[in-house]
Amino acid sequence: MKILISLLILSTILAGCIQKEIVDDVNLETGAAYDYTDGKIRGTALVPVYLSDKTVENKTFSSSSNLSRDFLRDVQRQSSDPLVSGSLKVVLFGERLAKEKGILDLIDSFQRDPSIGARLYLAVTEGDSKAVINGSYGERGNAIYLSNLIRHNMNSKDVPKTDLQRFLFDFNQKGKTPYLPRIKKLNKKAVEISGLSFFRYGHVVDTIPPDKMFYFKLLVDKYSKGTLKVNLGKDAAAIESIRSNYKMNLVSRKPLKVNIRIKVKAILNEYSGIRVTPKKIKMIEKKLEEEIEVECLKLTKRFQSKNIDPVGFGHFIKSKTRKFNYSKWEADYRYLKMNVQADVTITESGVID
Amino acid sequence: MEPLIPEKAKISPFLVFFLVHTMQFGIGILGFQRLIALTAGYDAWISVIIAGLSIHVILWMMYRILDTVNGDIMSANSYVFGKKVGRLITLPYVLYFLCVALTTLRTFIEVVQVWMFQDMSTFWYAFAFCVLAIYIIFGGFRIVTGIAFFGVVLPSYLIFTFFFTFPYADLRNLLPVFDHSIKDLVKAAYQMSLTYLGYEVLLFFYPFIKDPQKSKKWAHFGVFFTTILYTAITIITFSYFSEGQLQKNIWATLTIWKVVEMPFVERFEYIGIANWNIVILPNLCIALWCGSRILKRAVHLKQKYGVLLLTTIVLITINFFKTREQINTLISYTGKISFFLNYVYIPLLFILVLIVKKVKK
Amino acid sequence: MGWFSKQDKVLERETLEKTLKRSNDFKKVSYINEPTNKQFSFWFISTLIDENILQENVLPYLLEKPFEKIEDVKKIIALADVQISNNPSEIEQKLFNGYALLTLESDSHHFVFLAAHKELVRSISPPEVEFSVIGPKEAFVESINQNVNLIRKRLPVKELIVQELIVGSLSKTKVSILYLEGIVDPANVKTVMERLKNIKFDAITDSSYIVQLISDNKNSPFPQLLDTERPDRVTAILAEGKIAIFVDGSPHALITPTTLVEFFSSFEDYFLNWMLSSFFRLIRLFAVAFSILVTPIYVAALSYHYELIPTDLMNTLVTSRRDIPLPPILEALFLELTIELLREAGARLPTKVGQTIGIVGGIVIGTASVEAGLTSNVLLIIVALAALASFTTPVYKMGNAIRLLRFPFLFFAELWGLLGIVLCFCFLMTHLLRLTSLNRPFLEPLYPPRITDLKDSLIRLPFSKQSLRPQTLRTKKPVRYPFNNKSDIDE
Repeated sequence: MKILISLLILSTILAGCIQKEIVDDVNLETGAAYDYTDGKIRGTALVPVYLSDKTVENKTFSSSSNLSRDFLRDVQRQSSDPLVSGSLKVVLFGERLAKEKGILDLIDSFQRDPSIGARLYLAVTEGDSKAVINGSYGERGNAIYLSNLIRHNMNSKDVPKTDLQRFLFDFNQKGKTPYLPRIKKLNKKAVEISGLSFFRYGHVVDTIPPDKMFYFKLLVDKYSKGTLKVNLGKDAAAIESIRSNYKMNLVSRKPLKVNIRIKVKAILNEYSGIRVTPKKIKMIEKKLEEEIEVECLKLTKRFQSKNIDPVGFGHFIKSKTRKFNYSKWEADYRYLKMNVQADVTITESGVID
Repeated sequence: MEPLIPEKAKISPFLVFFLVHTMQFGIGILGFQRLIALTAGYDAWISVIIAGLSIHVILWMMYRILDTVNGDIMSANSYVFGKKVGRLITLPYVLYFLCVALTTLRTFIEVVQVWMFQDMSTFWYAFAFCVLAIYIIFGGFRIVTGIAFFGVVLPSYLIFTFFFTFPYADLRNLLPVFDHSIKDLVKAAYQMSLTYLGYEVLLFFYPFIKDPQKSKKWAHFGVFFTTILYTAITIITFSYFSEGQLQKNIWATLTIWKVVEMPFVERFEYIGIANWNIVILPNLCIALWCGSRILKRAVHLKQKYGVLLLTTIVLITINFFKTREQINTLISYTGKISFFLNYVYIPLLFILVLIVKKVKK
Repeated sequence: MGWFSKQDKVLERETLEKTLKRSNDFKKVSYINEPTNKQFSFWFISTLIDENILQENVLPYLLEKPFEKIEDVKKIIALADVQISNNPSEIEQKLFNGYALLTLESDSHHFVFLAAHKELVRSISPPEVEFSVIGPKEAFVESINQNVNLIRKRLPVKELIVQELIVGSLSKTKVSILYLEGIVDPANVKTVMERLKNIKFDAITDSSYIVQLISDNKNSPFPQLLDTERPDRVTAILAEGKIAIFVDGSPHALITPTTLVEFFSSFEDYFLNWMLSSFFRLIRLFAVAFSILVTPIYVAALSYHYELIPTDLMNTLVTSRRDIPLPPILEALFLELTIELLREAGARLPTKVGQTIGIVGGIVIGTASVEAGLTSNVLLIIVALAALASFTTPVYKMGNAIRLLRFPFLFFAELWGLLGIVLCFCFLMTHLLRLTSLNRPFLEPLYPPRITDLKDSLIRLPFSKQSLRPQTLRTKKPVRYPFNNKSDIDE
């Protein structure tokens, strides 16, 4: 009896154990880049190499194949330690891949893999993504640099919040289309965020430049720390600590009309004129409101013409309609009338007048 | 006729809350959202509430039955059908609890195999788990209740991890409310009730409660608490995922945990799954305990041997469920049997007990 | 003993004398009483007797005052404890308990026992294991009489009952049970007495033997009787309704029944303000959990769950582990074993050498092994902190149990990662649930949950809220002292 028990325990130890992934014996794939070249998808894995003097070196592995995530298998043949993708932080899609082939297959594999987190950052690059990921930015590795770049711009600047979870949410939502930030490589040591790309069925169909990102963010996200500059004749004013909120209102059904009300609260940060009087503040507010309304309306009309809906009008109207018919909405979207109403309040103007 | 349970083996009525709640809260919570959303869309949270409230009715009937016969379900069956037939009718419950134990263990190991350790062997982990379950059950019903108590109290902090979804939540997903027909809602409620099952164990440990009258409110409170928890998680899930996204995710709750990020730990779902171990351990133990108790009462097999026998059967059969479809089949069969036992047999027994009681007067 | 013939008694005495004569410290001296010219002799074990008592209180009177019968002896000797007996079987017991035997030549059937013990005992000194910064600094010593004295003076009431018995076939150790009549649950007393009576052992030298012989579960590393060397602690628990066991020759008293949370409370908690003591208790609990779990979590995270490690820490960890040839589990085992070796070595060495070795061992070996590339510096810090945290348990026996617990957790972490740690924790929880102390669940008041008893478990609430005795003891008088009702402002 006792022998049986000891045998069983021994067998549990020997047969029940699982494969280890010891942290210093694996290559952590922290960044990935996908390009579409010569009819094949070329994947590049970015791996940080931790040197003994606490610096980080970037190493990339590339391979092409027809299947999207298959390249990992090919790349294992080039890497001395097994590649694991549990630490994936940022994924870049080349422009051509995003426009022509679409990124849907790749997104599917990210969803299916249980080791990939939901806060993964996705971005589209101008030009080849392999070139972008092959730089040497920052001292802690490219992937950390890129993900930090995207994150702090989303938290406090003009890029609307988006990551894998939000992308999938928007993509699978019937009344909305997803969007991702665009990254441009400036030189070997610098990158910058150069706008937003809008997707339809996984293909990029539209992009907006950085100066329009502010207005787009007002429409879809809440600001907490944005900045904006506005001109009043010959004076210029800069406001910051912008907090914004938006609310949609269904005005009428036939014809379909939606009203978006944007509330902005800000602090006046810089003024090139002489003195800031309450009248001047009111003028600045009014000018801001005008600008916001005009630009936002332009944006929504532009989305309508390209048949994409990143603002989510479809989703909004569905929440107010019983037995919403999505296929009818596909046709109706182009007849939707939108109106933008902005309400700007400048609460403080700093410590001087 | 009824074997007397010694006072020191009985539990206080307050602990019935934990027993009932933990049996309902098991492996179902990890992936029930997809099924109910399939039938009733994002109005399914109403079905969750409906299903939860219907349990109180069944629970009330159960208490009436058990009060009348002052024993467990075998006493009730014997009361209505006579000793021999009563025993025979109670025996299928052993098979049912075997299925429950098997389902719980296999689905949990499946979750671990998909999410954490792809190459973990089913048998050896199940073996270690069963050894633990045997160790617990051999300590007596008080120890089983103790594990149920800790199985509720210790993982309760997991509720707070759901707060991480709030930045991503879009409550407009739930609007407009009541966009589906009553028929759809009822169908979804039926599916939900399969996840809610577990409170029938009350039928088996009723003699072990000190002062059973006092435990009524605790049992109802346990079921109510489960209902509230499930509803909250449903609403959180629905606001976190869009409809198409939810349909793709087999284990929605685990996918939600992917977004939890704390300064000292980057990916929370591994901790969550490891803690889930503590949540389902009481489920397994109570199921095995109930099964072996029936064996003891019906065929007079010593409970120690009964537990060993049932565990061996579980360990042998667990190897036969290898693919997702097989496991799904197992789950749906167990669910159907369970539904029949609770929503059809219990009301029937209730009426019969009342009739026999009047006749015996 | 009517059937016992007088001849047999004399024979027995002579056989006894023959055996006793084999020890050189057995002395038999004879004197003659002057007035009556009767011969009398003393038998005694010289190493157990205080000869001064015989010289001053007994001998002068016996030599000078006249006496005829043995009963007269009592009247003339200036000694309080004088017993007359005719039972030879008592001789052995009394002689070895420090009595001197007086026999008269004329009367060979009766003899007198004179109490002349010499007690060699340590003087009362501060406690060594349960040292407290404030509060009384008296600790128990090896003599049971002195120990009971310390308790009696703190509880000068008639309800304090002291029951004695002898255990141990060779050591004949005196064991005393103390309890407060009317407060304690009589069933508990009965159980303790029965268990003590049923002990079958030859030489009982310390109270720890008693712990192991009467524990409910002998196969558990956790002690089920609390041992203490502070009289104030014993007084407090007696007032709560528990039972104290004293063993002659042991400076530790035993307290029963106990629960797990008592092992993490030091008596100093009652001297400090309740907020401070609650905070310290929570720190202790956290330290224990930390010391058991942190090394296994390190092993699990580095071997299986690299995704858990925060990005910023990744650089440090990977760099620190880069040159280490051993996998994390062997590294951790190596360090743990080194710390255990240091501890064992430090316990065996005399104080002066021990301190140096401790410093040498700790610092030099640690630093050197990092430099040599055998272990990583992160793990060294973790293991050192865990060892430090395990020293916070106030009760020595529990600290040892905690030391042991780390290894199964390490083993399970190696097998199944985080899942293994949780599985091992479930095993531990079940084991603790199954433990009983004097048939009471060991885990009370955590399970079965008794909310009112939680006031003195993981935290300590102020004395105003502690007016009820713990429910778990089922005492006869649940109310300790009346507490005032609250009054309104300015009332």
